[in-house]
Amino acid sequence: MKKYVLLIVLSLAVLTKISAQEDSIKTTTEDLKAKIEELKGQVEGLNESYLETKATVDALKKIKLSGYIQAQFQSAEIDGISSFSGGNFAAGLHNRFIIRRGRLKVAYDNDITNYVLQIDATEKGLGLKDAYVLFKEPWLKSFGLKAGVFDRPFGFEISYSSSSREAPERSRMYQTLFPGERDLGVSFEYSPYVPFEDFLGHFNFKGGFFAGNGINPEVDNQKDFIGRLGFSLPFYEENLAIDGGVSMYVGGVKLAAGKSIFTVNNPTLATADTKTTYADRNYLGLDMQVYYALPLLGNFTLRGEYISGKQPGGSAASSSSPTALQAGDLYLRNFSGYYLNYVQNLGDKNQFILKYDVYDPNTDVAGDQIGAVAAAKLGAGDIKYSTLGIGLVHYWDDNIKFVFYYDSVSNETSSKLAALNSDLRDNVFTFRIQYKF
Amino acid sequence: MKKIILLLVITAMAFGFTYDNKVITVKGSDTMVILAQRWAEKYMESHPGITIQVTGGGSGIGLAALINGSTDIANASRPMKPSEREKLKQRYNSLGVEVKTAKDGLSVYLNEKNPVKELSIQQVKDIYTGKITNWKDVGGKDAKIIVYGRENSSGTYVYFKDNVLGGQDFTSTMQSMPGTSAVVNAIVKDANSIGFGGAAYAKGIKFAAVKKDASSKAYIPTEENIKSGNYPITRYLYLYLKTRPSDEMKDYIDWILSAEGQSIVTKVGYFPVR
Repeated sequence: MKKYVLLIVLSLAVLTKISAQEDSIKTTTEDLKAKIEELKGQVEGLNESYLETKATVDALKKIKLSGYIQAQFQSAEIDGISSFSGGNFAAGLHNRFIIRRGRLKVAYDNDITNYVLQIDATEKGLGLKDAYVLFKEPWLKSFGLKAGVFDRPFGFEISYSSSSREAPERSRMYQTLFPGERDLGVSFEYSPYVPFEDFLGHFNFKGGFFAGNGINPEVDNQKDFIGRLGFSLPFYEENLAIDGGVSMYVGGVKLAAGKSIFTVNNPTLATADTKTTYADRNYLGLDMQVYYALPLLGNFTLRGEYISGKQPGGSAASSSSPTALQAGDLYLRNFSGYYLNYVQNLGDKNQFILKYDVYDPNTDVAGDQIGAVAAAKLGAGDIKYSTLGIGLVHYWDDNIKFVFYYDSVSNETSSKLAALNSDLRDNVFTFRIQYKF
Repeated sequence: MKKIILLLVITAMAFGFTYDNKVITVKGSDTMVILAQRWAEKYMESHPGITIQVTGGGSGIGLAALINGSTDIANASRPMKPSEREKLKQRYNSLGVEVKTAKDGLSVYLNEKNPVKELSIQQVKDIYTGKITNWKDVGGKDAKIIVYGRENSSGTYVYFKDNVLGGQDFTSTMQSMPGTSAVVNAIVKDANSIGFGGAAYAKGIKFAAVKKDASSKAYIPTEENIKSGNYPITRYLYLYLKTRPSDEMKDYIDWILSAEGQSIVTKVGYFPVR
């Protein structure tokens, strides 16, 4: 009997314990369920928060900020030289520190529409560089319209940013014909939205109408046409690429009332025209870039451009394109110029640069003819220059690069011009450090 | 004197160590990240002096890293864009070197419970451009289509946009996920969802059979259908290098294209090119 009682007591005890354990398990399961629900709510909350943040980040990603600073030290042969290697040296100076560029660019990229504003801040002041809107049609995504201040669509060197360019400066020809590179106007662009292998994918066109004064206010009613038809031929198997284009500038420079357009193509007499309102400003340009890899040496590029045409300058001393309304006579010259630029990779971090450029502002006269006869109205603006540049670029990291470069400048001489009867001592050494982001 | 000798020995050892332990960095396509990791692991087993570091981020990120010099190899699930080639030309005077390493069927993922079995390219396009928003319009149940896709830095995103959507924009309701795995995970949980990505990621979901047009036969992205060209959305998976490879880099690329490297392509779920 005692055994039965003991068995019943033990059974009751076990059952009680099991029941208690079941209660405990039940409680634990419910707790876990509650915890899971709580965590689920938290995850959903985080997901909602993530989606909100993502929407904000996606919107912010359309705003693109970029820029670069170029700080440099330069040393010239003698004090106060005129130079195209970063501008003239001040009187009494043959070396200097300058901030060549202090760019900050803000762009809002909404895929088919773009807003771009770029400023340049240096020790010389603050200046506008780019301010334009770019609109692409949404159907073919091949045609675009650009309006505002932006690079003139001519040749290769204008649109090749100085932050990427290996030689410190553009060639003398470009600095003379297109000071500041940019202009105010509207441009039509065709860049086929097709696979690159398609025939049309190898071509592009940019062309439009511009004020013709660089980044300056409009001064006349005539608009200048500037355009370039470009091609790009890749040969992947050979790792060879040949790019190039044909460019055209058709425009004019307004003549002030009562003034003359002197055609200075004769060593003895310049013909004067007082009836024509605008002096022709017409250029034709050809450019080509070849990219290839040499055995042992590695990849290189050889670039060349040739431009010729008619250029109206503001005096006998200068053939530079006018950037404001001209008050005096205009001097119309037939000009030509070219450059060749060889860039050889030396591993991933270094590049060797060799550049030769020639600019002849007046192809109709030469040497002692310049300055010989006053009636010919020839002067320093008719002197031909050639520049041989040699340098080295070192890429320190993704942002920083160093440039060491020496420009050896030679000029045509004329015994009739006191300041140019011998080769000028105007060679310049440049050491530049650039930070780009 | 002893100190100087010790210093020289330590310096020499340090340089020796640096020289011997060549590091190759690989960055880019998320579609290819598993494949690239498998390649790297296997190659390093037989080449102890080489370290290969693989990271994802998307084809666009990898190609940007190649251009700015922060990676040796960019993985991409789409061809390099002309604008990217231009940047490479500017910096390295090179078009870059393209290596086709594998073929992939860009798959359309559906939840396993979804009764829809096949879609035409046009239907996929209409779903992803927002013209079709309900499964009943493509033979499914009356339910809103939840559209998942990739972020615009992804090569899969670009390839899908160019080759399936014909360059049109994705619907604004598409939820952009940071990787193909995230797309697959979302589809596993959502019966009314649709996504796209590489064939190698298909775990817990099903492929939609895809047909070129309404009258064509539909195919799923099997090796046979991809190799024969029957499956209509196929693409190559690429490696890009700045210039022609040499030394260790050339050896690694040659190995990827060898029978051993290509066998890993098959194991991961893509299709060999050799």
